Amino acid sequence: MSVHRTLLTILAMSLAGAFGAAAQETPAAPPVVVDAARGLPEWDKVYAVFTHPRCASCHVEDNRPRWSGAHYGGTRVHGFNVQGGSDGSGFGNPGLRCNTCHFESNSSVLHGPPGVVGWHLAPPEMVWWEKSSAEICAQIKDPARNGGRTLAEIAVHVRDDELVGWGWAPGPGREPAPGSAEATYEALTRWSESGAPCPSG
Amino acid sequence: MRLTVDGKDIEINADPDMPLLWALRDLAGVTGPKFGCGIAACGACTVVIDGMTVRSCSLPVGQVTGAITTIEGLAVDGKLHPVQQAWLDEQVAQCGYCQAGQIMSAYALLEEIDDPTDEDIDNAMGGNLCRCGTYPRIRSAIKKAATLKLARA
Repeated sequence: MSVHRTLLTILAMSLAGAFGAAAQETPAAPPVVVDAARGLPEWDKVYAVFTHPRCASCHVEDNRPRWSGAHYGGTRVHGFNVQGGSDGSGFGNPGLRCNTCHFESNSSVLHGPPGVVGWHLAPPEMVWWEKSSAEICAQIKDPARNGGRTLAEIAVHVRDDELVGWGWAPGPGREPAPGSAEATYEALTRWSESGAPCPSG
Repeated sequence: MRLTVDGKDIEINADPDMPLLWALRDLAGVTGPKFGCGIAACGACTVVIDGMTVRSCSLPVGQVTGAITTIEGLAVDGKLHPVQQAWLDEQVAQCGYCQAGQIMSAYALLEEIDDPTDEDIDNAMGGNLCRCGTYPRIRSAIKKAATLKLARA
């Protein structure tokens, strides 16, 4: 046992020395310099998307999605006592799940239920509803509150996730989120490359 | 297109975009589920698919992937389901138009929660509207149904 441990220690020291030498020869990647002048305008585009009702209405912290649109006379809590669910899943309560009404496609009938695969509420720590630009920016950069994602993974999630993509194809009678999934992906990428600056306050 | 409705396999010729309620009522002759609003906003059309409530007026039949249970499939060998029996015992119905949907939501609730609290009932039944306002009797019937169901188990 002790012989094995000694051999392993020698091996580890040898490898450490070899890698240490290699590390000295290879310059480390330069740290990303925060370029607020370049990054903040990109973040503003992202913030405009995230706070649009098509996105923020289901990024709430009180377990209750919102309805909004001209025909509602202002934003209001989703009718029918709909909630993300007492089990914390975001998919609704026993007897009244999100998928009771929201299916794989938008209803073609005006005021009918919108739909896409995987309809559910975002976790409460990902709240965007009525949050400031600085607050959402901090949340997006916090792995404990962004689903454990890197900024690159968030950009891809925004570009490729079907439920996110619904925000730009919300069905009849609903205003889509600004821009597109691809444009938001690009804005997130440029913001990240600029050091991911957040607005103050 | 094949569907399983109340334990029976049926064949229908329907456009995949046709609402399930249309397929049930007009093609399969299952008229228990009712048309109310047509936009999933009243609950009269509620059926259960693989344990989950669904507003059949808005679900395209082409998206159905599981076995459908309607109000017509709850009784077994002529014996009413506990929810149906409780509905009679508590005299829930006034006009009765919404009760097919109400009963299906209550049935789905009790499949997941044996002894629901008032909050559980409110959370499950909020999408089933009753213009007659029989909500207190609906709540009583669900609690009675829970007792009946547990007694039969």
